Amino acid sequence: MVKIALGLWISGVVYAVFSMVPAVEGLGYLVRIAFFHIPVAWVAVLAFFLSAGWSVQYLRTREIQYDRKSAVAAALGLLFCLLATISGAIFAKLTWGAYWNWDPRQTTIFILLLIYGAYLVLRASIQDEEERARISAVYALLSSLTVPFLVFIIPRFYFSLHPEPVLNKVGKLEMNVVMLYVLLAAVGACTVLFWQLFECIVHNKQRSV
Amino acid sequence: MKKRHVIGIGIIAIVIIFCAVSLKNSLTPYVTFAQAKTISGSVQVRGVLVSEQMVMTDGGKAVKFKLLDENGQEAIIVYKGTKPDGLEQAASIVAIGKYQNNQFVAEKLLVKCPSKYQSSQGSVNNK
Repeated sequence: MVKIALGLWISGVVYAVFSMVPAVEGLGYLVRIAFFHIPVAWVAVLAFFLSAGWSVQYLRTREIQYDRKSAVAAALGLLFCLLATISGAIFAKLTWGAYWNWDPRQTTIFILLLIYGAYLVLRASIQDEEERARISAVYALLSSLTVPFLVFIIPRFYFSLHPEPVLNKVGKLEMNVVMLYVLLAAVGACTVLFWQLFECIVHNKQRSV
Repeated sequence: MKKRHVIGIGIIAIVIIFCAVSLKNSLTPYVTFAQAKTISGSVQVRGVLVSEQMVMTDGGKAVKFKLLDENGQEAIIVYKGTKPDGLEQAASIVAIGKYQNNQFVAEKLLVKCPSKYQSSQGSVNNK
């Protein structure tokens, strides 16, 4: 039921992006990529924070289900982060003129990919379930502390070709209203998609235990 | 919290701060014109367009313009290639290349678009 609703929601968003979102000053219709790029980036951040939350739960209760959830969240976060990086590179080629020039935004997201890539390698290298859960939990927690810095704080200290964040320094939204609603709908759809993927993978893991 | 944990977290925090401080400059690829003059390899400089006048040379196959960097220095940028779209309207321009004979010869030009998500028709706006 949820899946059908999600399918309709995503279809609605895609339709809105192509028919309702106006061409923008400068970018023109290329702004449509942002309606994919921004949602996946936000969901990656959300996933990493959820992973940290479940890590804390695991360390408090030592129940293996929290380790499982934390790991799935981190892995999905890595996937969405990779999607954000790739869509960002495509966006960069079309708007800046190059796929990759180690712009601070690109460097920080690359570091983030390395951090959570290392998380997966870490998990794969430990056989004992409890030891793996304990060490992963600590690592996921520490990694999540870097997320606010890498995604929100550090990039604002440097000049970047990346557009200003939607919530700019003044705190006002400089965005056409129609665009804002479509963007919020896209972010919502992406979040529900993440939730569905998460539930599906966690249930599969529980069944195979 | 066990004392061991506190010391461990303290060490990790110090290492992170150390890394952050020493990596400060590597996080950005952009250098000033002054720095670009001293570096031998390919560098990325960025600035704002000084004048609206762009000189097309070589029968339209090269572009020449002036940039003002963050330190207030100007440089003449020469780019052999077609002018990228939106160069004049760009909020900032990044040139990748090196200094040769007091001119910055760019192999590539990148533009920063103005960060406005407003309709180009202007009619659907209300904030």
